[in-house]
Amino acid sequence: MRELFRYRDLIGALVARDLKVRYRRSAIGFLWTMLHPLMMMLVLSFVFSHLFRFDVVNYPVYALSGIVFWNFFSQAITASMNSLRGNAGLLTKLPVPKAVFPLATVLAGLVNLACAVVPLVAIMIFTNHPLSASLVLLPFGMLIAACFTLGVGLLLSPLAAFFTDTVEMVGILLSLLMYLTPVFYPLSIVPDYLRWIVVLNPVRWVLEVFRLPIHAGVVPTGLEMVVAAAIALAALGIGAAVFRATSHRIALYL
Amino acid sequence: MTAPPDDVIALDTVSLRYRLAKHRIPSFKEYAVHWMRGALVYEELWALTDVSLRVGRGESVGVIGRNGAGKSTLLKVISRVLDPTRGRLALEGSVVPMLELGAGFDLELTGLENVYLNALLLGRSRAEVDAARDAIIEFTGLGDFIRAPIRNYSSGMLARLGFSVATAWVPDILVVDEVLGVGDAWFSQRSKARLRDIRAAGATLLLVSHSPEAILASCERCVWLDKGQVRRDGDAKTVLDEYLAFVNRS
Repeated sequence: MRELFRYRDLIGALVARDLKVRYRRSAIGFLWTMLHPLMMMLVLSFVFSHLFRFDVVNYPVYALSGIVFWNFFSQAITASMNSLRGNAGLLTKLPVPKAVFPLATVLAGLVNLACAVVPLVAIMIFTNHPLSASLVLLPFGMLIAACFTLGVGLLLSPLAAFFTDTVEMVGILLSLLMYLTPVFYPLSIVPDYLRWIVVLNPVRWVLEVFRLPIHAGVVPTGLEMVVAAAIALAALGIGAAVFRATSHRIALYL
Repeated sequence: MTAPPDDVIALDTVSLRYRLAKHRIPSFKEYAVHWMRGALVYEELWALTDVSLRVGRGESVGVIGRNGAGKSTLLKVISRVLDPTRGRLALEGSVVPMLELGAGFDLELTGLENVYLNALLLGRSRAEVDAARDAIIEFTGLGDFIRAPIRNYSSGMLARLGFSVATAWVPDILVVDEVLGVGDAWFSQRSKARLRDIRAAGATLLLVSHSPEAILASCERCVWLDKGQVRRDGDAKTVLDEYLAFVNRS
């Protein structure tokens, strides 16, 4: 921890570099990164209001807030796993604390998530969705999401350094997990015999704390917030412990 | 273990094991298959075995040996890039490794941006780099090229940039792997002078080289590594003569 604090300027520079690379590719770089979730939202809105109907008030806002959350989560985890191998050249030459790389990756993802709030609010205004005061809880939801994601990233990134096929395998598991998480469908359509899986899915708790203030316009209940925070902190604790225990061997495998 | 008062590097029976690429299991699938067969055997390579070494403050020590003798591994252990598999390492003060000039350079960034990135990777703070940047730029002698992306640099220019950043602050211990004599004759002179200044300021130098001349030029002591073990350790001239005699014999 103390070592990471000593390298805080490095972490800042890595985050800035990540964002610069992402947004420099074109003059409308930021719009490009938002185009994908917006397209997804349009397609999903069409599919679920014309082909398969289910009852969600203002579905576009429900879907978009789910998608930006999921993109943050899955992209940050994949990027964390690639971050150690991607920096193999310097990790085998310089004594940099290795956790710097997954951490900077998740922080850059968090900045992107915060940026995604702009088009999200635009869609809310455009669809006459009420902008409730509960939106002030958005930073809390993002913080929970970031802690949870960092924990999973710290858990998986050493594994990706030891086994080259980890990234592919986690990719498959992530797409499975997306269907087990109510990202673009409401929990109410899940049949009873399957519902417990979706309800127990820890990602759902984290997602709901992020989405409830946006879509339902309500403050999550105390229970919801406590459970989500506990899940996030548990993930962070486990991830940090695994990373600590394995990080001294990472350079041998890169 | 703490280093005795005047030792800045103390290795106590340090061994380092690589699990070799041949039998290193690179994928989960293979790992699972091997594990189920109960055939999870590793081909092991001990790059260092029971190396004990003490280096005093301000000493300059050369390390010589044939390819694969463990020289680079030794420097990586002392630079804290690799943790010893067995044995203990104690260091006193800051270590700046120059194992590869420009490790961590980002080709998309300009020279100046890489000065910042590289210095931060070495554990410096932004404020420290702000204070030293003009001196660093001056030392590189790159002029206006400092604002160009380094993808357009020649290898000599990259080495100059890396050397200038790594030696911008006087460390307690400087660990150098065959990177001297980089760049043109002009920069080569400057870098030798810079190393002399760093040593004069009291830094400890550890230098790996294949060139006996390079070691003799800056080290009074030399360690000869052979098959991961210390074969000779002593006065540079004596050890180098013995080493050269051995090489010529075999």
